[in-house]
Amino acid sequence: MKHAALFSIVAAIGFVAIPSAFAADIKIIANPSVGTSSVSSDELKAVFLATKSSLSDGSHVEPVLEKDGPAHEAFLKEFVGKTDSAFETYFRSLVFTGKASMPKTTASDADMVAYVAKTKGAIGYVSASASTAGVKTLEVK
Amino acid sequence: MKLMVRTIFKTALLCAAPLMLHAQFDFKVDGRDVQVHSFASQGFMYSNDNNYMTMPTSTGSFAFTDFGANVSTQLTDKLRVGAQIYDRNIGQLGKWHPTLDWAVADYKFKDWFGIRAGKVKTTLGLYNDTQDMAFLQTWALMPQSLYSLDQRGTMISHMGGDIYGDVSLKRLGGLAYTIYGGEQPQDSTGGWVYAMQTSNRIGLTADGLPIIVANPVHSIGSYGGPVYGADLRWTTPVKGLLVGESYVNQDRSATGTWYANDLPFHFKTDKDDTYASYVDYSIGKLRLNGEYRRELFYAQQTSPTSSTVFGPNTDKDIRSGYVSAAYRITKMLEVGSYYSRFYNSWSILHSDPLNHVFDYAVTARIDLRNYLDLKVEGHFIDGTMPGLTVSRGFYAADNPNGFKPDTRLLVIRFEYHL
Repeated sequence: MKHAALFSIVAAIGFVAIPSAFAADIKIIANPSVGTSSVSSDELKAVFLATKSSLSDGSHVEPVLEKDGPAHEAFLKEFVGKTDSAFETYFRSLVFTGKASMPKTTASDADMVAYVAKTKGAIGYVSASASTAGVKTLEVK
Repeated sequence: MKLMVRTIFKTALLCAAPLMLHAQFDFKVDGRDVQVHSFASQGFMYSNDNNYMTMPTSTGSFAFTDFGANVSTQLTDKLRVGAQIYDRNIGQLGKWHPTLDWAVADYKFKDWFGIRAGKVKTTLGLYNDTQDMAFLQTWALMPQSLYSLDQRGTMISHMGGDIYGDVSLKRLGGLAYTIYGGEQPQDSTGGWVYAMQTSNRIGLTADGLPIIVANPVHSIGSYGGPVYGADLRWTTPVKGLLVGESYVNQDRSATGTWYANDLPFHFKTDKDDTYASYVDYSIGKLRLNGEYRRELFYAQQTSPTSSTVFGPNTDKDIRSGYVSAAYRITKMLEVGSYYSRFYNSWSILHSDPLNHVFDYAVTARIDLRNYLDLKVEGHFIDGTMPGLTVSRGFYAADNPNGFKPDTRLLVIRFEYHL
C-alpha cells in the first residue's frame, strides 16, 4: 500500500515536473538559427499570438502555421488556448488594424519542415511522427 | 430599384474581383514580403415601422455596403509599415467617400515598448478599432450602444501616435497597454453632422424634459478635434479570461452656419471624458463579452441670434453597455445574442423612449467558406432618441411622420474577406 502511494506521488510529480518536447501528438520545431533548445509554453503562446517576437535568448522568431489538420488543432488547443476559428479571427483583427502580418501557412508536415529549415528564425510544429531533418526540435517547459 | 441593382452589382464585383486575383496575395519587393488583404460586405435591412440608420428600412433597403483593402510589409525585424483604405455607403452616411482607414509606421523596440505613428486605429474597449470590419464579429450589427455605425467616424481612429507594449506577469498572466494622442478625423458624412444638418434638434427644458428646437443647422463645415487616451488589458491566469479598462478624452468642436440667418455656428465640448470597462471570456466554443461605458459630456454652442454667445449648454452623464454570448455550433455555424443599452442622460427618466435605445439581438452566422459568410440577425429595439447629436440610428429627417417607441429590425449581411 505504501509503495503504491509512493509510486503514485512520484508519478504525479514526474508528470508535472518533467519538461517535454512532445505535447499531445505534436512537436515544436525551429530553424537551426534559433539559439535556444527549449521554450516555455508561455513564450510559445506569446510568439503565436504576436505579442512576442523573440525568445528569452534573444533569438528573433517568426511563427509558421499549418493550414489545418490534427497537428494544427492540437497545437492551438495545447499551446494557444483558442479554437481554429477564434485564432483566425484574432490574427485577422491584427492584420486588418496594421498590427501584424498574417503568418506563413503550410499545407502539411513536410511543407512545414521544409519551410522552417530554409527560413531564418522560423518556428512551427509538426505531428510527433513527422521527420524533422534539417530543423531543430525544441523542448517545451 | 435601379439603385438597388447597381449596389448589388457593385458589391458582387468587389467580392469577385479579389477572388479572381486570388487576393489575399503576397508578393515580394526588394526581397521583402508584401501582403495585400481585402474585405467587402453587402447588407439588407428591413424594419416594421421606424426607418433606421438613415435608410428607408420600413420598405426594405440594400443601401448598406462597405469595403476595404490593405497592404503591409515588415521592413525589418522591428519595423512594419502599412495602410488600409475604406469606403462605405449606409443610407445617407458615408456616401461612397473613400477614407484612409489607417496608415501606420510601427517600430517595436522591445516586446514591452513600441511606437506607432500615422493614422492609427483607436484602442477603446474590446472592439473600437475593429468595429468597421464586420467579418471579424459574430454580429451583422455590433452593439450600437457602444459601436454605432452612425457615430463611430471620429472615434475609430486618430492622426497621431501610440506607445504600446506587452508585459508578462508570469503566473499572473500578462498586461497589454496602449497610450495614444492625436487628432480625430473629420467625419463630415457621419451621423452627428447628418443630425445637425437635417433634423430639428431636441433640446432640454430646465426640468430636463426634451423639446423640439426648431432651428436646424444649415451646414457644418468642420467637426473633430484633439483626442488622447489609454487602454490597459489584463490576460488573467484564468484560462480564456481577459479584463480591461480604457479612458479617452475628446475635445470636439464644429463650425457651420445657421439655416435661419446664415450666422456662423460654433459648437465645442468643454468636457468629454469616457471611461470604459470590459471583459472577454472564452471557454471551448463559447464566447462571452460584457462592456460598460460612461461618458461625461459638457458642450456649448452659439445661438441662432448670436455667433459669439454660447448657450444652451449640454451637460450630461451618458451611460451604455451590453452583454453578449456567442457559440460556434459547427465550423460553419455560429449563433449568438446580445442585449445592449444606451442612456442619453442618466439623470433623466430612464423609461422615456426619447432618452434611451435598448436593443435585444439574435444572430446566426453561416461561414460558407473560409472567406465568405452570411449573417441573419433580428433586433428588438426599444426607444429611439431621435434628432440628438448622440443618435443611435434614428433620425427625425428619415421619419417625418414621427416615431413609434419600438422597432423590429431584420438585418442580413453577406461578407467576404481575404
